[in-house]
Parts: sequence; C-alpha cells; structure tokens
Amino acid sequence: MGLTVGSNPMSMDAIAELLAERFAGDLVDPRIQEPDTIVARAPREKLKDLAARLKADPDAGYETLNWIAGVDRQTGFESVYHVYSWKTNTYLELHVDLPRERPEVDTVTAVWPAADWHERESWDMVGIVYVGHPDLRRILLKDDFVGHPLRKDYVDLAENHPHA
Amino acid sequence: MSERARTVRYPKLEHFSEPNVITTTADFIFSWARSHSVFPFTYGLACCAIEMLSSGFARYDVARYGMEVFRPTPRQCDLMIVAGTVNEKMAPVLKRLYDQMSEPKWVISMGACATSGGPFYDGYNVVNGVDKIVPVDVYIPGCPPRPEALFQGLLELQGKIQQHRFVAEKPAAPETANPAVEA
Repeated sequence: MGLTVGSNPMSMDAIAELLAERFAGDLVDPRIQEPDTIVARAPREKLKDLAARLKADPDAGYETLNWIAGVDRQTGFESVYHVYSWKTNTYLELHVDLPRERPEVDTVTAVWPAADWHERESWDMVGIVYVGHPDLRRILLKDDFVGHPLRKDYVDLAENHPHA
Repeated sequence: MSERARTVRYPKLEHFSEPNVITTTADFIFSWARSHSVFPFTYGLACCAIEMLSSGFARYDVARYGMEVFRPTPRQCDLMIVAGTVNEKMAPVLKRLYDQMSEPKWVISMGACATSGGPFYDGYNVVNGVDKIVPVDVYIPGCPPRPEALFQGLLELQGKIQQHRFVAEKPAAPETANPAVEA
C-alpha cells in the first residue's frame, strides 16, 4: 500500500501471534487487516478486564484510544474500539458484539480516559449504554431529543424534537 | 441591485475643490451613510465561513464596500451573515445573538444550508432555513457561494438599506372647503 508506518520492532505476524497467545479466550481471532492494523473481536463481559490488560501489556501495550465507533448491524450492535500502541506503532481494532434488545457494555473510561466523550457520542447517536460511565448523557444533540438518530430503524418524527 | 441604488449619483471629491455646499435630503444622506458602514457579525457555522473570511482578506477585500469591520460580538454589529448549517442546538443561540444586536439590523442568509438546509434538508438535527428563526433580508445561493456572490448580496443589501425612509410621510391633508372662498 506504500503506507509508511513508524518503526515496529516486531513484525505484524509476531504481534498477531502474541495477541492470540497472550489473550487466548478473551481476544477472538486476531488477524492482520492492514499493514499496520490488527482486527479482533471480544466478548462483551470480558471487555473491561481485557482493556486493562491490553493497555498494560509490556510488549504490545495499546496505551492510546483513538476513537470508539457505535455500529448498527440491524441484527445487533457493535462497539468498535480503535486503539494504538506506541511500542509497536500499530493499531488494534476491537469489535464487541452487543445484542439488539439490550445493547449494554462496560465502560472503558477507567482504562482510557479518552473514552469519555466517545462513549457519550455512541450513546447519543446509536443508543449503546456504557455501564459505569461517569456522565452518560447526550453530547451532540439537545438533551431533550428523543431517540437515537443513527439507528437504522430511527424514524424522524416531530415529537422527537420537543423544542425545535 | 435595485434600480434606485444603481441610479444614485454620489458626489465626487473634485466637486469640492472650492468652498461649496450640498443640497440633499435627510433620507438620502442618512441611508447613504448607514449603507456604507455596515458592521457584519462573524457568524460562520460551516464551510461558507471560509468564503466569508476569504472575502475579508486582501484578495477580495470587502473593505472596498465599507463593510470590513467583522465583529465577534453582536452588540457592535448590525448585519448578521449566517454562513453555514444551522442545527437545532445552535438555533436558540442564533436567536439570542440576533436579539442582542442593536437596531437597525439585517440578516444575510449565505449559502444553501442557511437558506433551506441545503444538502442536509430534513436532517434529524437541521433547521430547514434560518428564516424559520430570524427574518432574512438577502438570500445568497451557492454551496458555498464565492466571495463575489457574497459581495453581490452585500450590494443588494446596500440597495435595500438605501430605500429606508427616515422621515415619516406627511399625512394627506383633509379635504376642506377653501376658507378664502367662504369668507
């Protein structure tokens, strides 16, 4: 791809192998997607613990949270965490599947403080509940807005905008 | 541009090489002065703001029309150029800032978004035109309009300001019989 990445003391294969080995059971199917990105899934009940371990890992060490995306897959929701390692100069894209009827997942604000506003935005737009978030309220839309407009089944009705 | 603004003849400096006087109307001189010292309010909301700012710099230079003093506070402004998408969260702020501007005041709706919502028309958080909130004097089409288009809008506004009548019209005289004839 001609993409120049920062110096990486390990090869991507080695990182993927290390993740698969060290986080076996928590990190499902880590695979290389881009020259500098590894994609993996994680079960939601293990996310909190997994996040702390990913950040503290002496070799991979994903110290920085770049952003969180909320995704509506219609069959369910996904909370996607893009984290970055300054040790290897590579990314990890962590997908957490959430059931449609109860899209709740533990907050990672205690691990990555940057998650605060990203989780609020994901709640605001897609309606994913981040359990344990210190201040989970709308961040972009007005406080009295009704519904979560980026859900695929959202219908924009006048009563969703009480003071428009 | 209105017909009137086009046909106005401004006095030139060389007419005053000797001691001289001007005869004019109060309406003309005040509206002329007012239309040439418009203070726009820096209300940039989106990409139109880039064109608005560019019109203030040397390449286009809005100062040529006497409107260069962009102010960041509504209390020193009499023209609000709404440059960008107004969303529902911004709407009450815009209304409040408009109310804080001193009279007389005008509003230019710059670009498709401020005029009608533009590409975001009917979005879940978009006001479909700033004229739903404040009265608009001039609409400028474009996405975004070039600085020349903004100048055209400003000149239209100048024409509109110059049409303002300060002196109240004299009420029509009541129809009475001529007293001289009766006497």
